[in-house]
Amino acid sequence: MAGTSVSHLREAAGVFHGSSPATAVKSRRRLRETPAALILIAPVIVLFAISVAYPLAETIRLSFWDIQGLRKPAYVGLGNYAKLFADPAFRNTLLTTLIFTIGTTVISVAIGWVLAMMCAFAPRQTLPFRVMIFAAFGISEAVSGYMWIGIYRADAGGLLNSLIQLLGFPGFAHAWLGDANTALWALIIAASWSGVGLPLMLIFAAIQAIPKSVLEAAYMDGARPVSTMRHIMMPLSMPGVRVAVFINLLGALRAFDIIYILTGGGPVRSTETVGYFMYRESMTQFKLGYGAAATVILLLAVLIISTPAILQRTAGAR
Amino acid sequence: MIGKAPRWIIVVVGIVAFIWVIPIVGIVVTSLRPPEGVSLGWWRFEHFDFTLNAWRQVWVKYPLAQSMWTTVKLAGISTVLTMLLTPAAAYAFHFLKFPSRRLLLIIIINAFVLPQQVVIIPLFTLWRDLGLIDNIFSILIPYVGLSFAWSIFLVKNFFEDFPHELVEAAKIDGCGPLATFWYVVLPNSLSPIFAVGILQFLWTWNSLLLPMLFLRNNVPLPVLLARISGSYEINWDQRSVAAIVTTIVPLLVFLVFQRQFAAGSQTRTGAKE
Repeated sequence: MAGTSVSHLREAAGVFHGSSPATAVKSRRRLRETPAALILIAPVIVLFAISVAYPLAETIRLSFWDIQGLRKPAYVGLGNYAKLFADPAFRNTLLTTLIFTIGTTVISVAIGWVLAMMCAFAPRQTLPFRVMIFAAFGISEAVSGYMWIGIYRADAGGLLNSLIQLLGFPGFAHAWLGDANTALWALIIAASWSGVGLPLMLIFAAIQAIPKSVLEAAYMDGARPVSTMRHIMMPLSMPGVRVAVFINLLGALRAFDIIYILTGGGPVRSTETVGYFMYRESMTQFKLGYGAAATVILLLAVLIISTPAILQRTAGAR
Repeated sequence: MIGKAPRWIIVVVGIVAFIWVIPIVGIVVTSLRPPEGVSLGWWRFEHFDFTLNAWRQVWVKYPLAQSMWTTVKLAGISTVLTMLLTPAAAYAFHFLKFPSRRLLLIIIINAFVLPQQVVIIPLFTLWRDLGLIDNIFSILIPYVGLSFAWSIFLVKNFFEDFPHELVEAAKIDGCGPLATFWYVVLPNSLSPIFAVGILQFLWTWNSLLLPMLFLRNNVPLPVLLARISGSYEINWDQRSVAAIVTTIVPLLVFLVFQRQFAAGSQTRTGAKE
């Protein structure tokens, strides 16, 4: 403050000595503050370098190498990528990732959205219900996986099959996790159970931010709740919906815990997403280069959906 | 409040909410009944057979107490480290000038998109070569290092609204950058620092992938649960106890603070109920 006002005075008086005084003040300030800044950020830079920057660079480097178990590593260029796209298991994994990611996101956000709009009509009375649904989001993913094992169990103790029996369709009882045709959707439903809470809260907050006068005007004009939701809340809650969709997409792409516990990628690799495939190839088959290449593919997918968020953060970083 | 709330809306939301907690109720009831009692389902009550047996025996059957201690240690230390290091760096990034400040900031805050899968191959080989597998540092370093992407972003966002006059006044009174941080900025930034702590605690407590790969003997609770959840034993009661023990602490923390999360998102948009 003091520095700038002095430089303003000088500027006004027309006193210039070589470089502009404002720049001189800035660079002097930079010089003076650098040692303190270094002390403050050094631990962060070191830890960030070890656990983010190095692994990122190393994963990309390894993806060009053939590294298997104790064999001598060999440079293969794009060989791992060519192998990946020729590998039917990986191509199937891409499809599984697409279905899992879009399936969980659409189910979670759609249910969360409808619930948020309904809750907005009675914020106070529905508060305990919102907490009950949000609680699922606070359960450890490993634990929710265990819970859903109990629900999908094929024996008499499985909740889903008992319910089907009770409703009078014993023919539909099924080993949900043991059948490659149903395991993926069983997994998607389990993941959506935890996934609904966050969209519900985010979109609910977005609806709360709609000016009261707009909603009151609709009520005065005799709009029924469903048409208020459809024509006012839905379009005006879009900012919250966009954030919710992004967070759920990102979460589903990175998913690992729930897949590991609930299905272990099976049966016959039918529930392996790219995020699980890289774990299996690198950590259980010890094909490090091959797993790294799959990780780079995952990374590309993540970067594509994150581009708007990255641009926004970069523009906002001052 | 938009006029009078139609009753059907509350009923429908209520029904959904009760369906939503059924899985949670399921493991609680299962943990309180003998395995023979739940062989036809935990919801069948032909006779009353509640027992705390599983809650007593599980500590012998599985190394649950040891896992609990490991989890507390890992989550506790990494939470404290993140809470100490994040505000210092966020302060430097926001209030100080130094070379390549903006570039470093952009790199760090955008790393939030990186999946954990990116770090496991390089860190696994690095820890193996350094002999750090099964060492607590193999977990603490990535736990803390991975947190900065979102924690620095969160605290620096808070600094956007921090009164600049306070910082300038401290400077005029002769405080250097470090003294300004310690005496002026830090005491006034406790709420975002605790928000960072809560998020970091929840994330590290629930983490499965990294400790599963880097630890062998003393594993935290989610890894222990992963090892026992798929077994073919019929001890559903004991495994349910293990599941409850795994999630009870983070769930309570989450439920206590979710009001603040909701309130935070409301203050940011400037709306009230």
